[in-house]
Amino acid sequence: MARVRRAAGPLFAVTVALVLADSAVVTLALPDILRHLHTTVGEVAWVLIAFNLVLGLGAVPTAVLATRARPRLISALGIAAFAGSSAWCAAAGSIDVLIAARCVQALGGALALVGCLELLVAEYGERRGVATWVTAGVVGTAVGPFAGGVLTQAFSWQAIFVVQVPFAVLAVPAALAVPATPETTPDRHRPALRPNLTLALLSAALTAALFLLVLLLVEGWRHSPGTAALTVSVVPVAALAARPLARLLRPPPEVEVAAGCFLIAGGLVGLAIPPSAHLAWTIAPQALVGLGLGLTVDRLTSQAMELRLPRVRHAGWTIGARHVGVVVGLAILTPVFTADLQDAQVPAQEAIASLVLDAPLQPQDKIAIAQALGRELSDEEGRVPDLHRAFETADLAPEERPAAARLERALDAQLERAATRAFRDSFLIGAGLALLALVTVVVPRRRRS
Amino acid sequence: MTGVARLVAMPLAALVMVGGVLGVQVANGGGAFEPLASADPCAARTVTSRAEGMDALTERLVLLGIDAAACRLHVSREALTLELAQPGPRTDEQVEALHDGLLDAVRRMKEEGSLPPASDLVDEALDNADLNRFLELAIRALPDSVIDAALKTDDVLVRTIEDLDLRAILEDLDDEDDLYRQVNAAVTRAVKASLVDRLRELVPG
Repeated sequence: MARVRRAAGPLFAVTVALVLADSAVVTLALPDILRHLHTTVGEVAWVLIAFNLVLGLGAVPTAVLATRARPRLISALGIAAFAGSSAWCAAAGSIDVLIAARCVQALGGALALVGCLELLVAEYGERRGVATWVTAGVVGTAVGPFAGGVLTQAFSWQAIFVVQVPFAVLAVPAALAVPATPETTPDRHRPALRPNLTLALLSAALTAALFLLVLLLVEGWRHSPGTAALTVSVVPVAALAARPLARLLRPPPEVEVAAGCFLIAGGLVGLAIPPSAHLAWTIAPQALVGLGLGLTVDRLTSQAMELRLPRVRHAGWTIGARHVGVVVGLAILTPVFTADLQDAQVPAQEAIASLVLDAPLQPQDKIAIAQALGRELSDEEGRVPDLHRAFETADLAPEERPAAARLERALDAQLERAATRAFRDSFLIGAGLALLALVTVVVPRRRRS
Repeated sequence: MTGVARLVAMPLAALVMVGGVLGVQVANGGGAFEPLASADPCAARTVTSRAEGMDALTERLVLLGIDAAACRLHVSREALTLELAQPGPRTDEQVEALHDGLLDAVRRMKEEGSLPPASDLVDEALDNADLNRFLELAIRALPDSVIDAALKTDDVLVRTIEDLDLRAILEDLDDEDDLYRQVNAAVTRAVKASLVDRLRELVPG
C-alpha cells in the first residue's frame, strides 16, 4: 500500500497529461483512421471534435459533482471509464463506435481531471498540487501530437489508445489509496472571465498550430506520421524553455502572458509563409509557438484558479475554456482550409499543365504522362494527389526516364506550393486568434467605483 | 533587474524573436512560395521540341497554336489546355480560336524562318501516305531543290488546318489512332492540292 501511495502523485500527473494529450493525440492518426475505418474526412474530424466538445462542455458539471462526492471515488471512476473507453477506441471497428467511445473517454477524462486535482492537492499540498496539475496539463497538450504520430508510425493508430490503458489502470488503485476529503467550500467566487477567455482564444490559436501543421506535413508535404511527429516535437521542447526564460527576465504575469500570445501569433504567421516545403522552415516558427505556449497556458490556468473557491470548480472552468476553444478553433479553421484546398486545385493543375507542356520530353511521352496525371488528379478529388503513381504507370521509353523523373520532382514541388498556399489563410486566422487573446490581456480592466 | 527592465525585457525579447524569424522567412522568399503563375499567352514564347521531323513540327505548331488561341479567348494556355482535355462538345469560339491560332502559329514560324523545308519532311510524309508504290518511288528520287520548289511547308500546313474538322478532333482527343488518321489524310490532301495548284501556275493558260 505504501508503495502505491509513493507512486500516486506521479501516476495522477501522468493521468492528467494523458487526458489532455488526448485532445490532439489522434491528429496525426486521422489519415490512417480514415483509411482503416473507410470513412469520410468530415466524419473522421469528429474523432477530434467529439472528445474536445464533451470534455469542454462536461468539465464544469463534473467539477460541481466533484465538490459533492469523495475525490478518490470520482477519480477512480473517471480513470476507470477513461481506461475502459480507451480500450474500446482501440477495438472500434467503425467510425460511429470510435466517436461514441471518444465521447465516453472524454467524460471519464473530465472526472479524472477534476478528481486528480483534489488528489494531487491531498498528496502535495495546495500550492505544489495545483502547480503539478497545471504543468502536467501543459506537457500533455504539447506532447500529444508528437506521441500520437510516433505511435501511429511505429505501430498503428490503435496503439495510441492501447498504451493509455496500463497507465490508467495503475492509477485506479492509487486513487483509491489517497484519503482526500471533498472540498466543501461554498461557491464564493465567480469564474475568472479574462484568463478563461484568453485561454479559450489561445487554445483555438494553438489548434491552428498543432492540427493544421501536422495536416500540412502529412497531407500537403507528404511526410510520414513519424517524420511529422518528430518535426512537431519542437513545440513541447520549446515550451520547456519558456520557464527558464521567464525566470531570467522575471516579467509581471500579465506581461508574460501578453508576450506569450505575441510569440504564438508570430509563430503562426511564420508557419503561414514558409519560403519552401523544407521541414527546417517550420522549426523556428514552431519554437515561437512552443515558447508562447509555455509562457501562457500554465500561467493563465493558475490565474483563473488563484484564490478562487471552490478550487475544483474553477479548474473545471479552465478545462472547459481550453477545450471549447479547441472546438471553436476547429469549427473556424476546418471549413476555411478545406475550401482553400479545393480552390488550390485550379492553380495546381494549371502549374502542372504548364510544366508538362514545356517538358523536354518526346510528344508521345508528354501525352502518356498527361493522361496518367489526369486519371490520378480525378481520382484524388479534394485531396493532394500522389503523382508518383502516374509516372510509374505511364509507358515511357527508358531514355526518357531521367527527364520524366525531373518533371515528377518539379510537379511535386508545385503540389507542395499549392498545399502550402492553401493552408496560409488558416494559419493567419490562427495568428489573428492569438492576437485577439493578446487584446484580452492588454485591455485595461474597468475600475471599480 | 529594475521594474522597468522587468516590464520591457520580455516583450522586447518576443519582438526580436518574432521579427528575426519573420525577417529571415521573408528574406528567403516566404510569402512567395506559391504555384507557378500562368504565363501571358499573348507574349511571344520560345517553343522547342525534343522530337524530330514531322513530330517536332506538329508539337511546335500545336504549342504555338494553343498560345495564340488562348490569347484570342483571353484565358491562359494552361486553362485552355485543361478545358480541351475534358471530354464533351466545344463552343464555336473555342473551335474558331484554335483554327485561327494554328494559322497564326504557321505565320509566326514562317516569319521566324523556323519552318523546315518540304524536302526535310517528304520521306516521313511518304512513309505515312497511302500512295501508289511507283509514284512514291518517283517522288523519293526527286532532288530536294525540286521538292522545295514544288511544295512550300507553310502552304501545306495552312491547307491542312483549313481541311481539318477541328470540332470533331477536339471532341474526341482520347482516340489517338483516329486523330492520327484524320491529320494524315488532311496532310496528304493538302500536299496533293498544293502540287496541283503549283502545276497550274507552271502551265500557261
